[in-house]
Order: sequence, then structure tokens, then C-alpha cells
Amino acid sequence: MEAIVRLIAATAPVQTPDEIKAANAAIGAGFAYGLAAIGPGIGIGFVVGKAIEAMARQPEAAGMVRTTMFLGIAFTEALALIGFVVFILLGL
Amino acid sequence: MSRFILHIDGAVVLVPQTSGDAETVVEDKGPSPIAPEIKELAWGAGAFIVLFALMRIWLFPRLKKGMDARYGKIRGDHESADATRAAANAEVAEYEAEIATVKAQAAARIEAARGVLEAERTAALAEVNGRIAIRRTESNAASEAARAAAAEHVQAAVADVSSRAAELATGHKPQAAAVSGIVASLMAGGHK
Amino acid sequence: MLGLKFPPINELIRWRDIFTNFNKVGVIAVAAALIGIAVFLIAGSRDPLKAPTGVRNLAETGVNFIENDIVMQTMGKDGLRWTPFLLSLFVFIYLCNLPGILPVLQMPATARMAIPLFLALFVWVIYNAVGIRHNGIKYFTLMVWPPGVPVAMRPLVGLIEFLSNIILRPFSLAVRLFANMLAGHMLLITFAFLTNALFFAETKQFALKPMSILPFFMLVFLTAFEVLVGFLQAYIFTILTAVFINAAQHPEH
Repeated sequence: MEAIVRLIAATAPVQTPDEIKAANAAIGAGFAYGLAAIGPGIGIGFVVGKAIEAMARQPEAAGMVRTTMFLGIAFTEALALIGFVVFILLGL
Repeated sequence: MSRFILHIDGAVVLVPQTSGDAETVVEDKGPSPIAPEIKELAWGAGAFIVLFALMRIWLFPRLKKGMDARYGKIRGDHESADATRAAANAEVAEYEAEIATVKAQAAARIEAARGVLEAERTAALAEVNGRIAIRRTESNAASEAARAAAAEHVQAAVADVSSRAAELATGHKPQAAAVSGIVASLMAGGHK
Repeated sequence: MLGLKFPPINELIRWRDIFTNFNKVGVIAVAAALIGIAVFLIAGSRDPLKAPTGVRNLAETGVNFIENDIVMQTMGKDGLRWTPFLLSLFVFIYLCNLPGILPVLQMPATARMAIPLFLALFVWVIYNAVGIRHNGIKYFTLMVWPPGVPVAMRPLVGLIEFLSNIILRPFSLAVRLFANMLAGHMLLITFAFLTNALFFAETKQFALKPMSILPFFMLVFLTAFEVLVGFLQAYIFTILTAVFINAAQHPEH
């Protein structure tokens, strides 16, 4: 992080402390969203994959599995969305 | 180079970047983009509460009542259709049973009639046969009598002729009894 | 360097007042309520004994969807009395999401925090009230001191449960709807901007202008995706409401 900040500071002609602060915030926002998206991405992949497996094994239970799958996705996705909110708060 | 600004009223306009600073009035950043605004909250709340209240009190019960009525009607229709079908099936069964009894009766009657007919036929046949037999015996007897009479006639004639022939040959009349005896034996032998 | 300047986000999602304290989000919210009321009003005035067509069919499909796919899946037969609440919730959220993809409006009312926050608080009040009404004070004791958990773990689990029920559920409910719709809106804006910038670019690179077809295709694809997202978020909000109400009625599970 420090290295990137220094790199950006070295390449971009930034002068005022406000601009430095804004640049750091933008970098932090990018990291926040990127990191927040990793876990939920993997998690949603697991949820949907397992749900499809269950549906393929027992097609007659597909309706129940689908409902539960959406619930699981909703809970997992919330983390990524909080990351997105933080991204907006920090960056824009 | 050009710059795009989406104005607050939503129209995307193309603003060619003028040299130097644009004269656009730069507002301060305003409140946080994720902070709820009281006016939007109030309008949203009012709209939702009105929708919910109307739905709860008036709109949904009315719709649901209609749906239930239709489902009930459909179910009733189904049930009445089932009942009608059952009744029709029962009628068909009854009709078939009746047909069966009628058929049985007809068969019995036909059987009886056939029996009667058979008996009558046998009786008629027997009677006819009997009559034929009587007639046959009668005719047999008549023909036998006729033949016997004819034989006697022939015998008498032969005896007469033979006695006449013998008289002519011998000159005297042979005894009639002897001639008839000879003729009778000859004719009996000639029958052999 | 690209000459594309992305405008500040407040310019994208904050709207001028049409008249005092009534902006586009208010218009969309009021229109959503009015359309919902109108649909069910017209549907209710049709002859219910005929086979449903048109508006009535739409309304009955909605009712059947709520009953079969949401209530019966999460609350069972006892939950059917919640159908009007969940139905109005679903209709309202869906009709607030829909303007995000309608050409002239181009703004989901739920991409502002106000409406999701209000709905989440409304749901929060309702499920806590239901829990208290069904279980009395036991609603809180069961929440804070959950049975069936090892005693050593109970304070921790109880704290987590309490935080989850009282703070995290309404928060995540509101943020999920808001952030999904805002993210979709931002995506659409980004690709619209890219298309526009490439198409009107003053450049000597003649190949650059036809390239604007690429973000345009992405825009079309994302619009189709947003159709799905708008429906899915309304569905998820409604089904989570049903789950929370059911959990408040039976806190021992």
C-alpha cells in the first residue's frame, strides 16, 4: 500500500495535502471494494454450485433448493454490497 | 477534448472544454450520496403506507374473494361434473342390466318356443309317418289282394286253356280238379 | 489520455425538486404506489368468475407468486395472512426498481437510501412487534439467552443474535436493496458515458468512433441484466421479510 501510494505520489504531480488525501482515499476505495468482492464471490460460487448439484440430484426438490439458494446468496452478497457502499463513501 | 456532464435533470450534454477554466458553477459536494434524504423518505413512506393500507383493507380481500369464489366454482363444477358422470355411469349400468334381463327373457322365450315347435314338429312328423305307414300297409294289402285275385284269374284261365287244349288233344275232357291242381303246382313252381 | 471526466456521484443520483420537496424519487415512489393501487383496483373490479385475462391475470399471478413462492416456502400455511403485506412490499419495491431501466425515467427510486431504509425499518418494527406479540418478553430472553447452546457460549451467541436481530438485519436489508440498485445504476451510467464519449470523441483516430458499439452492446446487455436484478431484489427483500417474521414468531428455532 505504502509503495503504491509513493509510486502514485512520484508519478503524479500532486501538491496540496487535500489532493494527497483524495488520492489516498481513491486508492483505499479501490482496495476496499476489490477485497470486499473476493469473499462473497467465492461464497456465492459455492452456494450456487451446491444448489445446482442438489437440484441435479433431486429435481423434485428444485423449488425449495432455489428459495434457499436465493436466501444464501442474499446473505453472502450483503458483504460485497457493504464493500461497495464503503467504496462510494471513500472514493466518490 | 470534450467533457461530459450529466446534469441533475438527467440530460447528458456535451460541453466542449473551453480553454481556461470553465465558468460552470461548482457546487460543494453536498450531502453524502448514501445518506437518506428526509423528503424522499417522507414521500416513499407515504406512498408505501397508502399502498399497504389500501391493499390490506380493500384491494387484496376483494381480489382474494374473487379468486376463492372462482376456485370454489371450478371445484363445484368439477364435483358436479363428477356427479353427473357418476349418474350417467349408473344409468348406463342400469340400462345394460335391463338389456341383459330382456335378453335373457327373450332367450328363454325363444328356447321355449323352439321346444314347443320341436314337439309339434315331432308330433306332426310322427302323425304323418303313422298315416304314411297305414296307407302303405293298406296299399300293400290291396296290391297283395289284387295280385292274389289276378293269380286266381290267371290260374283259372290257364286251367281252362289247358283243359281245352287237353280236350282238343285227347278228345275228352280232363278232370277239372286235376288240371287245376297241376296248373297250381306248375304256377307255384314257376314262381320259384 | 482519455478526455472523459466522470461527474460527481451526487450529480448522478440527486435530483432537483420539481416543486417544494418533491423530486424524481418522490415521483417514482408515488407513481409506484398509484400503479399498484390501479392494477389491483382494476383487477378487483373484473368479473371474478370468468377466466382471468389482462390486468386481473397479472394481479392474480402476483398473488399466486407471493403465496406459493414466498409464503408457503418460508412460513407455511400459517403465514398466508401476511400475503397482503408481502404483496404490497413486493409490488412497491419492484415498481420502484423498474424505472432504472425505463428509457425516460432512468432512475431506480431504490438507488437512494431513503426508500430502502424506510422499508427496512418498517419491516424491523413489524417483525419485532410480531415477536413480542407471539412470545411476550420471552422474545428477548430467547434472543439474548438462547436455549440449546452450551452455557459457556450463550453470552457470545446471545450477543451475536441480539446484534443480528436488532441492528444487522434491518441494516443489511436496506443496504442490500440500495447498494444493488445503485451499483446497477452506476454500471449503466458508466457504459452510457463510455458510449457517448467514444461516439462524440473529437479525435484523429478514425477507428475510435465505431468502437463505441462495444460499450453500447455492454449497455444493452446490462440493461437486460438490470431487469433481472430489479425483480430479484424485490423478491429477496420480500422473502427475507417473510423469513424474519417467521423467525420472530418461532424464536426457538
